[in-house]
Amino acid sequence: LGVSLHRENSLVRFLRWVYAGVDRTIFMGLKFTFPGRFVSPLGFLGMITFVLFIILGITGALLMLFYEPILDRAWNSVQTINDVIPYGFHLRNIHYHASNAMVMVALLHMYYQYFSGRYKIRNEILWVTGIILGVLTILEAFTGYDIIFSERAELAISIAASLTNSIPILGPQIREAFFGSGFHDFVLRFYAFHVFFLPIVLLGLMVVHFPRFLVFDVPIVMAITGAVMLTGGVFPVDLGLRFDPNVPPGITVPEWYLTGLYAFLRSAYDKFTTGVAWPGLFIFSLLIIPFIDRYKKFSWKDRPIITAIGITGLAQIIVTTYWGFYIDPDRTKSLLERLVIDPVFLYLVMILLVPLSFGFTYMMIKLAKNAEANAKLQPKKSGSGKSSINLPQRWIFGVLIALIAFQVYLNIAAYYAVINGMKNYSLFIVGIMMLVFAGMFHIFRHGRSMEKAPPPKPAVPTTPLKSKPSSAVATSPSKPALTPPGELSKSTPAISSQDDKPLAPPPVAKGGSSSSQSSSTTQQSVETKTDSKVKMADIPESKSIRE
Amino acid sequence: MAQQPPPGSGSNVSRRDFLKLLAAAGTVMTFAPFVDWGKFLPNPSGQLKERQKVELPDGSQASVKAFPVNHSEAVIYPKTDDPVLNNEAFRVWQFIRLPVELGGDKNDISSFRMYSQVCLHLWCLWKYWPEEGRKRGECPCHGSLYDPLTGEAFAGPASLQAPPSNVLPMLDLEIDSQGSIWIKPPNWSVNGNGIVGFGRFLT
Repeated sequence: LGVSLHRENSLVRFLRWVYAGVDRTIFMGLKFTFPGRFVSPLGFLGMITFVLFIILGITGALLMLFYEPILDRAWNSVQTINDVIPYGFHLRNIHYHASNAMVMVALLHMYYQYFSGRYKIRNEILWVTGIILGVLTILEAFTGYDIIFSERAELAISIAASLTNSIPILGPQIREAFFGSGFHDFVLRFYAFHVFFLPIVLLGLMVVHFPRFLVFDVPIVMAITGAVMLTGGVFPVDLGLRFDPNVPPGITVPEWYLTGLYAFLRSAYDKFTTGVAWPGLFIFSLLIIPFIDRYKKFSWKDRPIITAIGITGLAQIIVTTYWGFYIDPDRTKSLLERLVIDPVFLYLVMILLVPLSFGFTYMMIKLAKNAEANAKLQPKKSGSGKSSINLPQRWIFGVLIALIAFQVYLNIAAYYAVINGMKNYSLFIVGIMMLVFAGMFHIFRHGRSMEKAPPPKPAVPTTPLKSKPSSAVATSPSKPALTPPGELSKSTPAISSQDDKPLAPPPVAKGGSSSSQSSSTTQQSVETKTDSKVKMADIPESKSIRE
Repeated sequence: MAQQPPPGSGSNVSRRDFLKLLAAAGTVMTFAPFVDWGKFLPNPSGQLKERQKVELPDGSQASVKAFPVNHSEAVIYPKTDDPVLNNEAFRVWQFIRLPVELGGDKNDISSFRMYSQVCLHLWCLWKYWPEEGRKRGECPCHGSLYDPLTGEAFAGPASLQAPPSNVLPMLDLEIDSQGSIWIKPPNWSVNGNGIVGFGRFLT
């Protein structure tokens, strides 16, 4: 149809030349993969976390130009950023929502690695540094919202410092040494921690934490960025009331990643136990989990005790996180009654969650194994799990042009929104734009992969069909009985989504996340290894991607 | 490495071990002076050597004769020339003249108390409520209640905390011949005047 998407233009050639030159540097130890098709973001949540970290670094650096870490000016300077400085509102909202997203994605990243058993096979250092990174990420986010110095920030600082004070013997000295002696010091020092100490440690640890195999999926990264902006547009972060030492603050709760801890603190039990020892125990148990996990297998289904422990922790986190937010709305009761959580009740629930979670895990594993067995017994309907939308090539052009036109429209809309002072709306539109870009890139990628020769399919030994896959998929999305039963079945997400290796393209990957058990998968991946390094890999080998 | 001394030789230190010992001692000596540099970290302000006035919000010095019974004021201590620093909670103290039933009508120092206003629970600022039936320090945040006589929390979350975190830091006061009230130089430790935001042991 005359459709060809040339990419060997001079810019690409220049980039290739740079890329070849970088061969001499440390970065070539890393192996970047730009997936040639959609892959599940679960497999590269770490990279998304890093991208959010970069976004935070950029927006944070820009915010530093106007923020003043002085007791009486901190809140006012944030207000100035929010209300007066052009695009200050945008930067602040992106910074705030990206910080929340970073904590959330880091947590997801951790739990995905946890349940898929990735911390094994000599990944213990990655796991341990990852846990430390996670703790520092939360501290970074925490110090960030403290230095606004609103009422809520004051409450947070006071909690942090009083928890440090509660450390036996050296607590007051540690607090004095690191936090200083008053709120003036706290704001200034938290600022120093927030913009220098913690980020520099984070960066240093990241060097250790980065695995050698990295995935950078442009559409997903763009979509995440867009989602952050969109959230900022829809839920702009408020400023809070300025902290005034002579006015008692209203009831405030910390950010969501700390309300779990807050629930424990509200039980009015000993401060050191609830505020330092429990989270410390939680972090410690996460640190040692790779060393106590003695299962030979990886999948969560094959590691019942570890999975149950993870589910228990997760359930407790979810329950306490909600509990920390919950304040009895009955205003006739005293403040104490409304706020204090009965420790007996709280700890009873925590203990009750243990057998419940173990039972739940047992049930889930049973169900999953049943489903697996059933799927093996029944001859599968081919294509049922692999329903993909495949556009004819001329449609790809059409869709791309439509998306670009939509972006032009969005640009105009964003421009007018900015002119009319509709900051929310403009941020929202920019978010949409990023999402549209993600879609555009995906379409572009899809079109290019279709243009290219059909990828080799070593997983399918017999191809008794007359048509090439590219044209075949173009005509009908589901071809019944295209492959022998059982070949493709293992990779279909319909059977078990957990088992599906995130980056494994359907034709190649067989073993799913337990790929190292099946030697055939690794052999196949070796065949496709050579060309996937430099090119935008159409077939990222299933073994290589861990991040 | 593991050089076994010949049997029966007693505590025979090999030359290599001796050199290692010297090297280790040298390393320790090299870095020993830097230990004291840890004092860089805490903020030295607040270490006052002389007595200070109890300066009321209107600028006057508190006096036994003028200050009403069963009344309280917020006093800044240590007061600086910088209004920003004066603004912070850690320098806010509740200066209380006790109610009559607690001996507040006596014209000597025993009827006055000066506690840190920072609640020991989560650092909100409590204050003294002179109303009939209250006459106690109340924290607006989580409802800790403080005994104005001793500074001890008797109800609420602060009262559940283990000592020293259940007793407010307290400054020692004295009266001169004119009846003006002064703050004695503090000893910021849990066994002395206490640590703001942390507490004090009742002695």
